[in-house]
Amino acid sequence: MRDRLPLVVGLLLFVIVVLSMTVYTVDQRQYALVMQFGKIDRVDSDPGIKLKWPLLENVKYFDRRILTMDTPVPELFQTKEKQNVLVDLFVKWRIADPQLYYKAFNGEETKAVNRLDQTVNSGLREELGTRTVADVVSGERSAIMDEVRKRADGEAQKYGMHIVDVRLKRVDLPTGVSESVYRRMESERKRVANELRSTGGAEAEKIKADADKQREVIVAEAYRDAQKVKGEADAKATVIYSDAFGRNPEFYRFYRSLEAYRESFRTKNDVLVVDPSSDFFKYMKSSGRESK
Amino acid sequence: MITAIFMSLKDPRWGNSSQGDDKPSEGRRGGNDGPPDLEEIWRDLNRKIAGAFGRNGGGGNSNGGGNSGGPDARMIGGGITMILGVIFVLWAASGSYIVDASQKGVVLRFGKFKEVTSNGLNWHWPFPFESHEIVNVTQVRTVEVGYRGTEVARDLHEGLMLTRGQNIVNIQFSVQYVLNDPAAYVFNNRDPEDSVKQAAETAMREIVGKNEVDVVLYQGSESIIKEAQRLIQAILDRYESGIQITQVNLKGAQPPAEVQEAFSDALKAGQDAERLKNEGQAYANEVIPKARGAAARLHEEAAGYAGRVVARAEGDASRFKQVLAEYSKAPEVTRNRMYIETMQQIFANTSKVMVDTKGNGNMLYLPLDKLMQAAGATPQADPAAQKPADATQTRAADLPDPRARETRARDGRESR
Repeated sequence: MRDRLPLVVGLLLFVIVVLSMTVYTVDQRQYALVMQFGKIDRVDSDPGIKLKWPLLENVKYFDRRILTMDTPVPELFQTKEKQNVLVDLFVKWRIADPQLYYKAFNGEETKAVNRLDQTVNSGLREELGTRTVADVVSGERSAIMDEVRKRADGEAQKYGMHIVDVRLKRVDLPTGVSESVYRRMESERKRVANELRSTGGAEAEKIKADADKQREVIVAEAYRDAQKVKGEADAKATVIYSDAFGRNPEFYRFYRSLEAYRESFRTKNDVLVVDPSSDFFKYMKSSGRESK
Repeated sequence: MITAIFMSLKDPRWGNSSQGDDKPSEGRRGGNDGPPDLEEIWRDLNRKIAGAFGRNGGGGNSNGGGNSGGPDARMIGGGITMILGVIFVLWAASGSYIVDASQKGVVLRFGKFKEVTSNGLNWHWPFPFESHEIVNVTQVRTVEVGYRGTEVARDLHEGLMLTRGQNIVNIQFSVQYVLNDPAAYVFNNRDPEDSVKQAAETAMREIVGKNEVDVVLYQGSESIIKEAQRLIQAILDRYESGIQITQVNLKGAQPPAEVQEAFSDALKAGQDAERLKNEGQAYANEVIPKARGAAARLHEEAAGYAGRVVARAEGDASRFKQVLAEYSKAPEVTRNRMYIETMQQIFANTSKVMVDTKGNGNMLYLPLDKLMQAAGATPQADPAAQKPADATQTRAADLPDPRARETRARDGRESR
C-alpha cells in the first residue's frame, strides 16, 4: 500500500505535465500561432481551449486588439508652396494576419512600429507635397488622413498589419513662422480695431447729423405753421377792422388820430411848444362872444 | 458552498484581488501561460493524492485490521481528506467576486468571452477554467487638453491650434466619458484611455482648423463643443472602444499670449464703437425732444398771437362801433367834446410852453434842454402841470351828460 503512493504521485505528475504541454488557451485578446519546429503550422484566431502536440509544437501569442503608434515628436513636412509644417500624428493599427506579421518582424512589435512609422511618413510626405498649408489645416484634413491611411494600409497588408486609422494631431508652423503669424495676427486685429472705432465714430456722426437735421426741420415746420396761424389771425382781424371802420371812414380817421395823439404825448418829457392861435386855445384869449 | 463564500469574503486578500483590477492588464494574460500552471499542477496533484489516500485508507481498514499501523493511517487519511476538503472549498470560493454598483464584470472561459455580469456577488468557475475582469462603467473619467488640474498652463503646446486663415489660438478643454460596453472596452483596444485623449486632440484641431479665429474665440463655442463631441465619439466608435463621451467642456479659448494685447484692444475698439454710437444717440435724444418743445412753443405762441390779434380787433371794432353809434346821433358836439378832452389829456400830461409869436418879430430864446431836464427831475412836483390836471378832473365831474363822462373816464384809463 505504501509502495503504491509514489507511483500514484508520479503518474499524476506525469498526467499533469502532459496536459500542460498539450492543452493551451487562446485569450479573447489574442491570436495564437502554432509552430512546428519553427515552421508555422496554423493560426488560432478564435479564443478558447485548444490542443496541440506536446514537444513537437509550441505556441506564440499576438495581440489582436487595436494598437497605437504615437509619434513622440512632431516632424517637419513640406507643403506644395515649400512651406515647412510640423505635423504630429498617431496611427491605430492591429495585426490582421499573424502569419505574415511573424514572418516580417519575427514577432517583434518595435520593428513593426518602425516600419509602420516609415510607411505612414512617406505617405504623408507625398500627400502634403501636393497640398497647400491652408488645405492641410482646414479644408482637406480628413481627406489627407483618409488618403494616407489607405496608402499605408495597402503597404502594411504585406506585413499582415491593418491600419485602422491615421489621424493628424498637431499641424503647426515652425517657431520662426509662428512669430510672423503673431505679427500678422496683431496687424489684423489692429485693422479690425481701427475699423470698428472709425465706423463707430461715423455712425455716431451720422446719428448726430440726423438729429440736427430733424431739429431744423421740426423747428422750421413749426415756424411755418405758426406763421400760417398768425397770418390767418391777421387776415381775420383786418376783416373785422375794415368791416367796423368802413362804416364811417372820416370819423375813424378823427377817432384814431385822437388816440394816436394821446399815445404819442403822454409824459412830461414830451415838450410841446404851442401857439395860442390854435383852435384849442380859442377861448384862452377871449370869451369868444365879442369876436364872433 | 455559501459558507465557503462567506469565508472568502472575510479574507481581505480576495476583495483586493477582485476589486483592484479594473484595467485590462497584459500581465494577467502572460501569467496564465507560465508560473500559474505550476499552481494548477500542484492543486491537481493534491486532489489526486487526496483521492489515493482515501482509497488507501479504506483498503487498509478492510484488509489488515490487526495491523498496528491501521489506526494511524486512517487518522492520517482522515486528516488529509479534511485538509483537502478545505483546500477544495477555498478553491471553489476563489471563483467568487463582488461587482460594485458602478461596475460590470467581464467573465472569460478559457480566455473566451463568456458574459458580462452585473453588480452584486458573483461566482464563476475558479481557475483555471474561468477568469474575470472588473471595469468601472459609470464612473465619469476626465481627460484634460491644454491644461492640467486647476491651472492653465499656457505654455503647454497641445493647447495651441491653427485656425482657418492660419491664426493661432490657445484652447483648453476637457472630455468626460463613461463606458457603455465593458466587453468592447476590455477586448478591442490595448490602451483605450489614451485613445480618448488622442481622439480629443485630433478632433478639436480638425474643428478649429475649419473655423475662423473669431468664430473660435467669440462666437461658436456652442457649435464647436457639439461638433467636437460628435467627432470624438465617431473616432472612438471606429475603434469599437466601448467608450461613451458624455460631455466636452470648453474651458477657455484665448489668443496666444504674444498677441493677447492686440486682441483685447480690438475688443475694446468694439466697445468704443458702441460707446460712440451711444453718445450720438444720446445727443439725438437730447436735441430732438428739445426741438419738439421749441416747435410746440412756436405753435402755442402763434395760437396765442392769433387769439390776441383777433380778440383785439373785435374789441377795437366793437368799441368803435359803439362810439360811432353815439357819434352819429350828435356828430358836432361829440366831435368837439372828444377833441377837447383829448387835447386836455395831452396837455395835462406833457410839459408845454405857450409862445405867442404872432405879430412879434423878436427872436425868442427857449432853453428846451433845460426845460426837459427840469421836467424829468420833478415831473410830479411841477405845480404848473398839476393844477390844470386837477381842474380838468373837476370840470369833467361837472359834466352833465353821464355817457360822455363815462367815455371820457374810459379814455383816461386807456391813456394811462
